[in-house]
Amino acid sequence: MNAPAGVETVAEPAAGVTGSPRASRVRRLLLIGLQGLVAAAAVLAVVAAATTQGFFSVGNLQAILSSVGFVGIVAVGMTVIMISGSFVSMSLGTQAAVSAIFFVWALKFGVAPAILMTLVLGLLTGALQGYVIGGFGANPIVLTIAAVAVLEGLVVVFSSGGTVTPPDGAYTFLNSTVAGLPVSFYVLIGVVVIGEFIMRRTNFGKRVYMVGDNREAAWSSGFRMGQIGAGVFGLAGVTAAIAGVLLGAYNQGASLLLTGSLTYDAIAATLVGGTLVAGGKGSVWKTLAGAIVIAAITDLLLLRGYSSGVQILVKGLLVIVVVIVVHLRSQGTR
Amino acid sequence: MNTERRNLAWRRISKNSGPFLIFGLVVLAFVGLPLYSSEAATQFNVYNALQSSAALGLLALAIGISMIAGEFDLSTVGVYALGGMLAVKFGVDSPVLGVLIALGAGMVVGLIQGGIIAKLGISSVPVTLGGYIALLGLTSVISSGDSIAFENLDAGLWLEQEMFTWFSPRSLIMLAVFAAVGGLLYWTRTGRDLRAVGGDRRASRAAGVRTDRILVGTFVATAMISALAGALLSYSIASANPDPGGAPLVFAVTAALLGGVTLAGGRGTALGVLAGVLALSLLQEIFVIVATPDYVSNLVLGGLLVIVIAFDAPHLRDRLTSVRARMKDRPESARVSARFK
Repeated sequence: MNAPAGVETVAEPAAGVTGSPRASRVRRLLLIGLQGLVAAAAVLAVVAAATTQGFFSVGNLQAILSSVGFVGIVAVGMTVIMISGSFVSMSLGTQAAVSAIFFVWALKFGVAPAILMTLVLGLLTGALQGYVIGGFGANPIVLTIAAVAVLEGLVVVFSSGGTVTPPDGAYTFLNSTVAGLPVSFYVLIGVVVIGEFIMRRTNFGKRVYMVGDNREAAWSSGFRMGQIGAGVFGLAGVTAAIAGVLLGAYNQGASLLLTGSLTYDAIAATLVGGTLVAGGKGSVWKTLAGAIVIAAITDLLLLRGYSSGVQILVKGLLVIVVVIVVHLRSQGTR
Repeated sequence: MNTERRNLAWRRISKNSGPFLIFGLVVLAFVGLPLYSSEAATQFNVYNALQSSAALGLLALAIGISMIAGEFDLSTVGVYALGGMLAVKFGVDSPVLGVLIALGAGMVVGLIQGGIIAKLGISSVPVTLGGYIALLGLTSVISSGDSIAFENLDAGLWLEQEMFTWFSPRSLIMLAVFAAVGGLLYWTRTGRDLRAVGGDRRASRAAGVRTDRILVGTFVATAMISALAGALLSYSIASANPDPGGAPLVFAVTAALLGGVTLAGGRGTALGVLAGVLALSLLQEIFVIVATPDYVSNLVLGGLLVIVIAFDAPHLRDRLTSVRARMKDRPESARVSARFK
């Protein structure tokens, strides 16, 4: 199972590229235009930030970094999935909420066992989905949408759908603040460092990049796709479980409502971080940057008094623009 | 030769009859309710099932069309929410105007998304995902974040009135849209081109199909159908919700896949999707009749989707074929198992 030679021999079809010179000139112009737009938007954002009272205060920067924690942790898992070429999991937000519910319930066994059990549960639920996706070639988006319905159903079976509350306050240290920043932020940094290490330094990580770069070649050269899929989604499940533990502690209880927009926010952070949608390129670091950029913009809009609808709208538009720019650039370099 | 042809014909029938077989089974379960429960289905239950399929059925049709074209439009639920909100906002005096505005917004959304996807050759999933987020934001901006009540109750009452015992104007509109799309797919060149684009885009382009136009048209159609579904639903329930959540998407995708549309693209019919939609709606109505809690029907729906998607997965089928081939010990088994070892 070492990295096989000859991965490059199977050519990857470039989807939808007409290849005419005129078309490529239009693309180049569009790319320049969009990059200009992004630069202009960035300048505008900086100016707006400078003229917004309190944006550059220590308190506000702490607020931005504090809000990154949960989304950032899940986004690390989302990034690994996207690099592997399985695009996204639509179930990570639900998995985080399920993990939170399980964690709060399991607290009666003690904090450390509860955390450990939650992580194992996250690993298993993720790996199960990943095995079907990687091994059978099931569509990742639809399978994970189905997983959401199944997970939500199962949670209601076991918890009757209400809010679960912890038996005592032994867990509250998870919810404390160190040097002005919440524990979740430090955990995020740890997850990013570990994620980057796994993706860059281990055999598994290198293989994930290879699978994302050329799935057909990986198939034909005998990669065990079921195992790799299980590993990728299992890892993502662990990040969702970590976020779930922190979410449960933060909210001092848990219900399915914790899902919120976590899935979409994590996808947005990953895409804004510049991970290539087709897989094979991207990094956990850049996703962290993407998450911080989104958090900063959201915070700016909030300080300027815009509604949450405007914040969501801007997030969506940002995702589309970055997806186009990353796509055009990846074609230019090929 | 003759048996071979008969075999081929039989295989074609059995390949395309799946949706109708499932529909038939659900109808049997529906009619046979008194046999296994203390309840029986009434005419009103049929009406009810058709009402719920009126909104979600159109959504399934929209997603189905995008899947036949080899794409996946995640923004349909976003347009569905936006269409409902616009109709409620602008349709108080003239409900028709409200629907037209919703349709117009759908067309604009479809043109933008379809243009980006077709002209730049980007996968539709990330674009429509960004579109979905942006559309939910836009809907929330329009409604200032809250559900909005629709003052013009007459419009809803008109849409919901019973006709021919089982139907209502709303479900008849749904059936009319299905008929129009079905006719377009079956009889016109556009329909053939759409399947060609979904089946093999490069080959269809080489064969002279204007793939860009077909793709843009696909996304305009999916968005307009979704907007119509949202607008009619919000009239009927006399309110519009800025965030419909994930359930409509689960229903729509399950119905489309049950209806014989494949994620690989190129295959599927409007009639099949309709069979999938009606099967799911009747199934949900059965759950309502026997008063199962919501989560059970959610579980069943999710479980069903898992099963359907696993069967749609290419390598599961390959693996089964390779196992079967090895058991039969045909010469091809060597080739198949060599590929997947």
